[in-house]
Amino acid sequence: MRKSLLAVTLLCGAAIPAMSADAPAPDKKEVAANGSFTGATANFAPNDPAGQWTRQARDYANTRYSPLTQINKANVARLRIAWTFSDGQMYGHEGAPLVVGDTMYLVTPFPNIAYALDLSKPGAPIKWVFQPNPDPRAIGEACCDKVLRGWAYADGKLIYNLLDANTVAVDAQTGKEVWRVKLDDVTNGTTTTQAAFVVGDKVYVGSSGGELGTNGWFQALNVKDGSTAWKAFTNGPDSGMLIGPQFKPFYSWMVGKDLGVTTWPGEMWKQGASAPWGFVSYDPDLNEVYYGTSNPGPRTPSQRPGLNLWSSALFARDATSGQAKWAYQFTPHDEWDYDGINENVLIDIPWKGARRKVLVHFNRNGFAYTIDRTNGEVLVAEQFGHQNWASKIDLTTGKPVVNDAAHPIVEKKVENICPPDIGVKNWNPSAFSPRTGLLYAGIFNSCMDLTNHIVKYIPGSPYDGMEMVRHAGPGGNWGEFIAWDPVKGKRVWSLKEDMMTWSGVVVTGSDLVFYGTLDGWFRAVDARTGKVMWSQKVGSAIMSQPIAFMGPDKREYIAVYSGVGGGAGVNRRVNGFPPGGNTLYVFSVDGAGIGLGQTQLRTNASMPAPVSVPPAAAHN
Amino acid sequence: MRKLLFALVLMTSPAKAQVTADTANPLAGNADAVEAGHQLFGKMNCAGCHAYDLTGGMGPDLTDNSWQYGSKPGEIYHTIAEGTPRGMPAWKDKMTADEIWQVVTYIQSKHQ
Repeated sequence: MRKSLLAVTLLCGAAIPAMSADAPAPDKKEVAANGSFTGATANFAPNDPAGQWTRQARDYANTRYSPLTQINKANVARLRIAWTFSDGQMYGHEGAPLVVGDTMYLVTPFPNIAYALDLSKPGAPIKWVFQPNPDPRAIGEACCDKVLRGWAYADGKLIYNLLDANTVAVDAQTGKEVWRVKLDDVTNGTTTTQAAFVVGDKVYVGSSGGELGTNGWFQALNVKDGSTAWKAFTNGPDSGMLIGPQFKPFYSWMVGKDLGVTTWPGEMWKQGASAPWGFVSYDPDLNEVYYGTSNPGPRTPSQRPGLNLWSSALFARDATSGQAKWAYQFTPHDEWDYDGINENVLIDIPWKGARRKVLVHFNRNGFAYTIDRTNGEVLVAEQFGHQNWASKIDLTTGKPVVNDAAHPIVEKKVENICPPDIGVKNWNPSAFSPRTGLLYAGIFNSCMDLTNHIVKYIPGSPYDGMEMVRHAGPGGNWGEFIAWDPVKGKRVWSLKEDMMTWSGVVVTGSDLVFYGTLDGWFRAVDARTGKVMWSQKVGSAIMSQPIAFMGPDKREYIAVYSGVGGGAGVNRRVNGFPPGGNTLYVFSVDGAGIGLGQTQLRTNASMPAPVSVPPAAAHN
Repeated sequence: MRKLLFALVLMTSPAKAQVTADTANPLAGNADAVEAGHQLFGKMNCAGCHAYDLTGGMGPDLTDNSWQYGSKPGEIYHTIAEGTPRGMPAWKDKMTADEIWQVVTYIQSKHQ
C-alpha cells in the first residue's frame, strides 16, 4: 500500500507547470504594456547609488536588483575577466562582495579573514587585511561546511559573524578591530554562519546549529559597540521569545500561550534548534524585520511529537523592540529537515483589485509562498520544483496536506521521498526584477531514500538521526534555474543544470540575470525568455552571490566568488564535481578596467614612468 | 563462545593511559567488537558527523586512506579519546577505553 501511494504521489509531484527555455517565449498576452509579467513592484530602500552594493541583497527588501544598464543584451557576449582575487581559503565561498565608494570588501570562510581592495587602482590591490583568528573548535561544530554567507557595512565599519559564535566590527578605513562580542559557546554546537544585516544603528544576527541540538536565537546588536539591544530565542517560553500582546499569527493553530514549550515533549524545546541562519529582510514602512528558523532537533521526528513551534517557521518582528508581530510555520512537525530559513523577498503585488504588501519565500519543502507581510496570511503556495511529500498547502488552514507515504520510519528505509533534507531550494538567494515582476532562483531536483535512527543529545555533537541516500529527481538532472510568477504561483521559464544550482542571483536593469553552477559555469540569461546570452567557465563551483557594481572608472562590472563547499558536497560523487577554489572573478565588457591590458604600460614599482622609447628606436 | 572470548579480550585490554601510537588494537579482527563499535558509532552520534556509511559529511571520510591524525590503531584511539584542535570532541569521559577500542575496530573493519 505504501508503495502504490508513493507511486501516485510521484506522479503528482512530477506534474509541475513548467516551460523549458527551449520552448517559445512566454505568451505576449501575459506581459503588461510596461513589460511586467505580474505588475509586482518593490521598495528599494535605502536607495543606494546605482553603482554601489553595500549590503548582501543590495536593498532591505532582498531583491538583489541592480538598476545598472551598461552591460546589456547587445554587449553581454563580450564579457571577459577584468581581474581576479584569490583569498587562499578552501572552504565553500557563499558571500557577496560589498562595494562601498572605491573599496571592495571580502570576507573568507573560516578563518574569516577580511580584505579591503582598492578599486581605484590597477588590479584592485589590497588596502588592508584583518585576521580575527576565531576558535578552531568551531570547525567541528559547523554542520554544513565552515562557511560565511555574507557581511555588512555600516557607520564606517565592516561587521560580520565569525564561525565561533562571535560578531566582529572592523574599521573600514584601517582594518583595525573596533569591537568583538561573544554571542554563544561554540562547544555547545552553536556557530554563526549567517550574513549580518544592518538597519540604522542595529545589526541583526542569528545562530546556526540546527543539527546540533542548540536553542536558536536572533538578536539585534548595537552597531556602535556590539552590545545586545534585544534577543529573541526561537523556542521556549513566550518571555524569552519576545512574544507579547503585539503577537497576532494569522492562523488559529499558532495562537496560544508558550507554544514554544507546549508543542514539544517535556523540555525537548531546549534542544529544539530552530536556528535562524538565513537572510534578514526589512520593511521601513512597517519597521519590521523578517527571518526564518531552521529544522527542529533532533531530525528524527518520532522523538518529538507535536508541532514543534517555532521550528521551520517565519517571524515578523518590530525592528526596534524585537517584539514578535506574527509568525507562520511552513512545515509543522518538520519530519524531513525542510527548515524555514530561506530568504524572504519583500514586494508589492496586485491582488484581487488591490495592492498587497507581500513577501515571497521559496521553501525547501518545494512550495513557493506569497504571504501578506502585514499579517502572515498565505495568499499563494504553489509547487516550484519536484516534491512528493505533500499534495498541496491548504490555504484555509495554512497547513500542508501530507502524503502518507512520505512519513519516515525508524530503522526502516522509506524510498524516494522528494525533496531530501537539502530541499528544492536552499539558502542561496533569489532575485526580483521590478521590470519583469518575476523572481529568479537556482533550485534542486532530488529525492532521498531515508532511514531514521533514534538519537540522544550529547552536547556539542550532532543531534540528527537521518541516514539518507540522495539521488537526482525525474529527468536525472540535479539542478534547475527558474523564473517565477509570485502572483499566479507558476513558472514562466526554466533551465536545467546537471548539478544542484546553489548560486545566488543578480538581475539588472538590462533584463539580464546572472547565476552560476556547481560545475563552474557563470551565466547571463535573458530575464524575459530564459535564453542563455553568455557563459564563462571558472575555476571551481559557484555557490555564492553575484553582484553588479560601477567602478570608480564609471564602468559596470559583474563580480562573483567561485569556491565549492557547503551543502554542495551532496553532489561530490557526480561526475565532474569540481575541486575547491577561492577566487573572486570580476567581469567587464572586453575585460577592460583601470590600468588593465594595453593601458597598463608600466609597473607600479617603476613609477614614475620611465622615459618612453622613441618610436624610431623601438623599430630597431 | 564468541561472547566469552569477547569478555576475555575486554578484561585483558590495556588501560587508556597506556595507549600509544604503536599500541596494537586488543580487539583487532573481533567480529563482536566490530558490531559493538557499529552500535556505538550511531549511539554516540559519530554518524552525525562522519555519516552512517562513514564516508564523511560534517567531519572527515573514515573510509579513505587520508588520515589527518594518523592511521595506526593507537593513533585512531588517541584521536577519539582526546579529540582534535579542529573540532573533534574528546570522548574519553563519555566512553570507556574498551568502547573506544570497539569503535576503532569498527573503523578498521572498513579498511580491509
